[in-house]
Amino acid sequence: MWWRRTLPAVVALLGVTGLGLITVGLTADPARPPRPPAHAPTRTHPAPDLPPMPRAAPVRVRIPAIDVRAEIVPVGADAAGVLEVPPLDRPRLAGWYRHGVSPGETGNAVLVGHVDSPAGPAVFFDLGHLRAGQEIEVTRADAQVTTFTVDDVRAYPKDRFPTALVYGPADVAALRLITCGGRFDAATGNYVDNIVVFATRTA
Amino acid sequence: MKVSTALCSAALGVGLGTLLLPGAALADTTVSPATTPVGGTVVLTATTCNPKSGDALFRVTGPNRDQNVRSTTAAAGGGLSAELFTAGFTLGTYTVAATCGDGSSAGSATFTVTPIGGAPAGSGGDSRDTGALAAGGTLLGTALAGAVVLFRRRRPASAVA
Repeated sequence: MWWRRTLPAVVALLGVTGLGLITVGLTADPARPPRPPAHAPTRTHPAPDLPPMPRAAPVRVRIPAIDVRAEIVPVGADAAGVLEVPPLDRPRLAGWYRHGVSPGETGNAVLVGHVDSPAGPAVFFDLGHLRAGQEIEVTRADAQVTTFTVDDVRAYPKDRFPTALVYGPADVAALRLITCGGRFDAATGNYVDNIVVFATRTA
Repeated sequence: MKVSTALCSAALGVGLGTLLLPGAALADTTVSPATTPVGGTVVLTATTCNPKSGDALFRVTGPNRDQNVRSTTAAAGGGLSAELFTAGFTLGTYTVAATCGDGSSAGSATFTVTPIGGAPAGSGGDSRDTGALAAGGTLLGTALAGAVVLFRRRRPASAVA
């Protein structure tokens, strides 16, 4: 019968393909996050005339467009002055830069989150997919919910980080989301870029 | 009452000034740059102080800090300047209030000390592709099962022959 001759060949092919896929699986490059363009941001949404909110720590952030729902913990900076991020073993948490304003106060509030962790994509993996006009909802410790609308999404090399645009003063209530992006430098264990989302409070 | 009236009229004056003279340098005290990564240097300038009446004094207040800085140089555009080195500063926003050598107030300004550079917010991800691993495992398993079937069928056949 014909299958008596072909079956060993089929079995051998399955075995070799299976071994090959396992090899690929063990050595594959991990999924890479999206990479937005790199130039200066523009405010596309004029800030409506909203009364500024008092200071209250943010507790949750929701970004429906990229399916993000995350708890927020306060973060500062380490002794070298580098921004802290939530621990890598809790990659679904976002951090709020507590030395800046809180979301809803006049000024730039800053949230930071991991793009990935050893367990795979993390809370802000899809940040680079955000587009102008999409909304970010922040729930605060005083139970108030404030909504920001994305103005722009940009990538910056870490050594040319737009410090003033992210942490500097602002005359409206604004929000900046930060994560990593661009090429992953295996030698240093770091991404070469930061992705920054610029948003303005609209509700 | 007197204080609050003075405050209101002063605020109104600034508002009108902004309205009438857009872009004019109204600030008597300036900080440049207004934002610095911690460890950076900012230049404090009291633009209206006359160097002839003595050094200006800048009072820098903010998170965990209340310090006086004396002017060291005459500013190029007029007034008196001092450099402030922000190493060891707690991150946050600081207020600088200047007093001229003659004791008159020279206004105030703010600056922000920020983290350095970007955020280390990624690990490079998981270097294993679980999809390929699962598919490979399934194929290999099928191949082994097939090999077992073949082996069992052949043995009785060869025994008969």
